[in-house]
Amino acid sequence: MAKVLEVRELSKKYPKRDVFSADKVSFDVEEGEIFALIGPNGAGKTTTIRMISTLIEATSGDALVAGHSIVKEPDKVRENITYLPDEAGAYKTMTGRKYLYFMAGLFTADKMTIERYVRTAEQICGLGERLDDKIGGYSRGMIRKLLLSRAVMTEPKLAIMDEATSGLDVINALEIRNTIKKLAKEKNMSFLLSSHNMLEIEYLSDRVGIMTNGKLMITGTVPELKERYNAVNLEEVFERVVLEHEVR
Amino acid sequence: MKFGNLLKKELGELITKQAVISMVFVLVLFVFMGQIMGHSMEEGFDTSTLNICIRDDSDFTKNVIERIKTDAATELNIVDIQSDNYYDELERLDLKYVVIIPEGYGDTIVDEKKPGQLIFASKVSLGFSAAMSSISSSDAVSTIIDHSADEAMESIYGLTAEDVELLTSPANTVEFSAANGKSVEISAAAVSSIVMMESMIAPFAIFFLLLLASQMIMTAISTEKIDKTLETLLSTPVSRMTVLTAKMVAAIISALLNAVFMIIGFGIYMVSIMGGAMSGAAAGSEVINMPDAGAFTDVLSTADAISQLGFSLSGADILFFGLQLFLTLAIGLSISLILGATATDVKSVQTLVMPIMIAVMIPFFVTMFMDFGEMPVAAKVIMFLIPFTHSYIALTNLMSGDMIMYWGGLAYQIVFFAVCMFLAVRMFTSDKLFTMSFSTENKTNKKLLKK
Repeated sequence: MAKVLEVRELSKKYPKRDVFSADKVSFDVEEGEIFALIGPNGAGKTTTIRMISTLIEATSGDALVAGHSIVKEPDKVRENITYLPDEAGAYKTMTGRKYLYFMAGLFTADKMTIERYVRTAEQICGLGERLDDKIGGYSRGMIRKLLLSRAVMTEPKLAIMDEATSGLDVINALEIRNTIKKLAKEKNMSFLLSSHNMLEIEYLSDRVGIMTNGKLMITGTVPELKERYNAVNLEEVFERVVLEHEVR
Repeated sequence: MKFGNLLKKELGELITKQAVISMVFVLVLFVFMGQIMGHSMEEGFDTSTLNICIRDDSDFTKNVIERIKTDAATELNIVDIQSDNYYDELERLDLKYVVIIPEGYGDTIVDEKKPGQLIFASKVSLGFSAAMSSISSSDAVSTIIDHSADEAMESIYGLTAEDVELLTSPANTVEFSAANGKSVEISAAAVSSIVMMESMIAPFAIFFLLLLASQMIMTAISTEKIDKTLETLLSTPVSRMTVLTAKMVAAIISALLNAVFMIIGFGIYMVSIMGGAMSGAAAGSEVINMPDAGAFTDVLSTADAISQLGFSLSGADILFFGLQLFLTLAIGLSISLILGATATDVKSVQTLVMPIMIAVMIPFFVTMFMDFGEMPVAAKVIMFLIPFTHSYIALTNLMSGDMIMYWGGLAYQIVFFAVCMFLAVRMFTSDKLFTMSFSTENKTNKKLLKK
């Protein structure tokens, strides 16, 4: 299978900080694959994701998205990705539908394509007539569904999602997980996820990478990791990997 | 296309229904205030009616009253004051003031050759019209004094009417105003009041424009950052410069719209006030105590005298002023952009707007109350370094033809803007946009923790 994302020794050191927030991180994501980065708070997941999303510059190393370098061709990279930040909001004065049109208009100037994107998002978010209401009146779940549909409506090669279902109730979270799984299977879209919810990761991911102290410690499928660490579930794997590498 | 999409979104966020309502409210408020102030000015200037109570029946006083009656500009309102409780009497007669000529007034002047005594009773009114009312009342007293002097000279000293005329007005004044190397036969007070009217609206516009635009762009950037919509926006295939430009253009358009409403409102307000002052002045006998208002009526018929002095603005001047205004706005926006990007909560936006407010307010008040050219050198240097000063004095420089000062200020602003924009672009296109932060919450929390 073709690789959609190739991360090569990607590092980030913020000024005034002694340690690397991301330290020589390397992994691949294949076409149609759901890859999850997990790790404790401050492990470097969001920093890695922000570098791949071209929001912050890498101190060293590189990552190729659909063959384009995040260092040399950030514009090309942004044409192939979408990014859904953790706890992201949307423009409260816009209606849901206007927001979708606005975001679609940033990806293409072609009106037909914009219409197609918005129709896709309408189907995925399932907000129906509420799309004509101002976003300011939406619940957290509705905003997240709107943002998720926005992130996948353009069918990007790689959709990057930081805590895709954080703060959502079980039903809303389930709907979003099913949507991600369906899009990966049917549309062959690749996903790079970050989450603290081990159940979600175990259910969704094809492969998992565990980060701690800025380093990517291990990657593998959930069954592989469970077998290797002789663990019952991913939570146990996570705990053992983190304890093993924790700086005391 | 993408820029248009972004600009539409930014304008939609800035020009909301609430924003339009507040713009209209400001306009209505100015019109309303103008009406009230204009009315009180009109009342204040009305010296055409003289309220008088005559308790003296001497021939001298009778002659003085006859003299006032022949004065075409003054209408006598003879009233009867029955007690010394002036408040009750004025209330009963519904008057603001009254002049009483007490018994023996004429005899004191004619027989004793001493000044007679007049009683002036006036209601104390608070508010804007109070000062104006007192001027008109003392003017009323002076009418009686002037006519008493004329009568005394004729009846006591036997002078002819021509002698009296010569003694009371021994000289006429021809006023010349000199400016910009020219002199024109016109009152200097008239020139000042007209030029002030012309140049007063501009600083107000600059003041509001700068504050509004700065606050707008700061809120626009910080809200995007706080809501994390900025991260989403900047991960789309749009360059950061396009996002930045769209935000700045939208802030300029929105600020200009606000300024237009404000200037129209302010214009109506000023016209109402001056209209009130002029109609009041026209109704008065002589405009002695309000030279500006009198001068104003003179100047309206001699507007070309103003242009002869070089105080009227040419098309090129207006263009230069527009250039200056645009640059000022751009400086304000670029500074706000840098500050706004460091905000992490709404409270910090309010704190961050303070430095801009101070930098805008200091030159606003200083240039309003002081002449830049007459300031001490140290103060001049400090004022010159504040980039917004140059916009406040640009109009005066253009009117007085001080082009060295104008171009010097403009050159400094260009350099200042280039530096600010360089820093803003650098910050916006680097990690600093996400890593720099200024939060009031953190400071409060730290203080609480220390306790």
